[in-house]
Amino acid sequence: MSALHLTINGQPREVEVDDDTPLLWILRDSLGMTGTKFGCGVGVCGSCTILENGKAVRSCQIPAREAKERSFTTIEGLSSDGNHPCQRAWMEEDVAQCGFCQPGMILNACALLREHPDPSDEVIDAVMSDSVCRCGTYPRMRKAIHRAATLMREKTA
Amino acid sequence: MKTSRRTFLKTATLGGAALVIGFDGRRLFGEEKATGNFQPNGWIRIDAEGVVTLTLGKSEMGQGVRTALPMILADELGADWSRVKIVQAMPGPDFKRLGTGGSGSVQGSWKPLREAAAAARELLTEVAAKEWQVDPLTCSTAAGAVRHAASGRSVEFGQLVAAAAKLPVPQTPQLKKAEDFHLIGRRTARIDARDIVTGATKYGIDTRVPGMLYASLERPPSLGTKARKWNEKAAREVRGVHAVVAVTNGVAVVADSTWAAMKGRSALMVDWDETNAIRFDSLQHRKKLEKASREPGVVLRSERPASPSTAARTLEATYYYPFYVHAPLETMNCVAAVTPNDCELWAPTQDPNDLQRDAARLLGWAPDKVRVHVTTIGGGFGRRLANDYAFEAIEISRAVKAPVQLLWTRPDDTRHGHFQAASVHRLSGALDGSGNVIRWRHTKAGSLHNLGGVEKPPTPNDAPFYQGYAWGVYDLPYAIPDLEMTYVPVDLPVKHGPWRAVFAPGSVFARESFIDELAHARSADPLQFRLALLQGDEPLKAGELTIDRSRLRRVLALVRDRSGWNWNEKPKAGAGRGVACNIYDADTHIAYVVDVTVKDGHVRVKRVVAAVDCGLAVNPIGIEQQIEGGVIWGLSSLLKGEITFRNGAVEQHNYADYDVARM
Repeated sequence: MSALHLTINGQPREVEVDDDTPLLWILRDSLGMTGTKFGCGVGVCGSCTILENGKAVRSCQIPAREAKERSFTTIEGLSSDGNHPCQRAWMEEDVAQCGFCQPGMILNACALLREHPDPSDEVIDAVMSDSVCRCGTYPRMRKAIHRAATLMREKTA
Repeated sequence: MKTSRRTFLKTATLGGAALVIGFDGRRLFGEEKATGNFQPNGWIRIDAEGVVTLTLGKSEMGQGVRTALPMILADELGADWSRVKIVQAMPGPDFKRLGTGGSGSVQGSWKPLREAAAAARELLTEVAAKEWQVDPLTCSTAAGAVRHAASGRSVEFGQLVAAAAKLPVPQTPQLKKAEDFHLIGRRTARIDARDIVTGATKYGIDTRVPGMLYASLERPPSLGTKARKWNEKAAREVRGVHAVVAVTNGVAVVADSTWAAMKGRSALMVDWDETNAIRFDSLQHRKKLEKASREPGVVLRSERPASPSTAARTLEATYYYPFYVHAPLETMNCVAAVTPNDCELWAPTQDPNDLQRDAARLLGWAPDKVRVHVTTIGGGFGRRLANDYAFEAIEISRAVKAPVQLLWTRPDDTRHGHFQAASVHRLSGALDGSGNVIRWRHTKAGSLHNLGGVEKPPTPNDAPFYQGYAWGVYDLPYAIPDLEMTYVPVDLPVKHGPWRAVFAPGSVFARESFIDELAHARSADPLQFRLALLQGDEPLKAGELTIDRSRLRRVLALVRDRSGWNWNEKPKAGAGRGVACNIYDADTHIAYVVDVTVKDGHVRVKRVVAAVDCGLAVNPIGIEQQIEGGVIWGLSSLLKGEITFRNGAVEQHNYADYDVARM
């Protein structure tokens, strides 16, 4: 057990955890940030997706010893008011059903749009198919990603 | 039982000035409880601030009940939609009939909710009208206020509740006319959409209570095996581990974090006693089902023509619908806080009343000692009609004398599901010389649910009982003169229970596939072939269901037109198009046209067109989401993973080897 220093949503945090503790459980159990979800534990479902420098990473696959001194953004820190273009697009397209996978999906989409500001359906499918939604919100997510892309362009225009 | 027309309608205040009305689908109640059969399943409360609170008896698991049900209330009442709140009901004397399943939430709540809301509206209007000295019938309600258009006066609900609560509740309130609906039928965003996209929604897994510990439970890897010994010392040496406890379903490790509990669990290295192992094998079971499908079985429906025709051609086919696990993204979990005096549970359950009852039984207490909080559910699909995970949490909490969150891992969830039971469907049919379908036989060999022990029919040959397990078999909508449907129950030692659309998927898959075979046998357009078999305006009786073929014809015709269906047009090489339809529980009429391509044996679904008649769509967005989700669920079942058993153990573990549909 050792002190781990890392930055979450711009805030420096310090936690005492074992070196092998996945970042997912640091967020959820040590820091009480439950927006990041546990789905599979082995990096195949995407529920625990968070951002690091705008790139999507799977928090269940990052042990504490590798997380130190790094900076991450979780769904709680994506926007101050829930109005990030992806969050807005998600609401405007009525994507969510049970909603459990959606924080991970939204962050995955943010990373996708950073790489591909105007993605084709094929690119969206290729990137987003690394994550699982059991309610079947895929068609709406695809639309929401296109909408978010438009919102982002309007913002920068 | 005949319910007396005399009602016990009273009003009272609850926590300050408020108008409170309870309803149970038969009667309306004030807050003071009438004696006798008082079983409300909903409460409406309007407080002095004008906030309307609906205490909701349905679990939200993505189907949108926390939006659709308050929409019904708000419209009938004339409430301000932005000031409608939801409180989740807890099982107890006020809520004896909770439970969410069988696609019945909106349909079942429609009338009682409207009646209760209309009663509240009439009371509020009465108070305002008296104050203004006008006829109540000249007043209306909208946006949380009573208005009198002629004089331009209006008063907010909050100012009326104290007086309204003193009046007797109207016995038969006048319901709004459909043309006056302003919210019902309007595309309405989910009430919890912002919470979901900001990560604020609290699912069961997100429950945190003071002093809570975390548990992970090692269960027998195969049926009938029991923990013989385990390395408690090694588990305890994991930092953060507090306790190792043996419970009915295995050995639990309790720790101060989820990760420590999981690590401790993997250090247990349990040695399993296989003396009573059940070597269940799904391949063997399939053979058993196939054999059973040739046996006579219970007759579900049988109709014979006055004069039999001669068959020119007969066809037969057998379909296998395998085992599946629900695999919701949120794995099974429960927080249990058992003290010497009581038990408090936070569970993402579809069945809170049974949870309360069975938890009390497990603890040997009266039900009122158990308090159940129903959390938001990260996907239900029928799995959470079983409360097995909660009983495990109770045993662990009782042993360690602290609140405990038990969280199943994904392999736990995959391997210890209440599986969709495999079934075999044997169908045969006959065509006469003119190509008419003159005979239909459908036998389902499958298994009854065992959510709380194996369900047994009242009598071995009770057709209505078995019809309940044979949706999609006995309620065949097609007009065929000579038909017989049967059910052959087959014992199944694994846990199994309802699945999305309950029993319909396997049966309808087989039935619609076989209708296609018959159409193919006479080179007919499969869509026109179905339409021809759905002629006639007489309602069709099947068991207790009344089937309206005209509504199914309409959706078939609609999907034909909207999909650009043209059977005479040759599909491109590697491309194909198909149609299927169904009436779900005599209520929802649906038809699909699906375009696929096949390349190297890999099926890709290019487009699905669905036409749906489910009656009045309270929230069209909710209907669309359910249909889209149902399509993807169906494709996932058909094209992706299945659960197999070998040597009494599930062979799959995670989404990597139990594949589900992805984008």
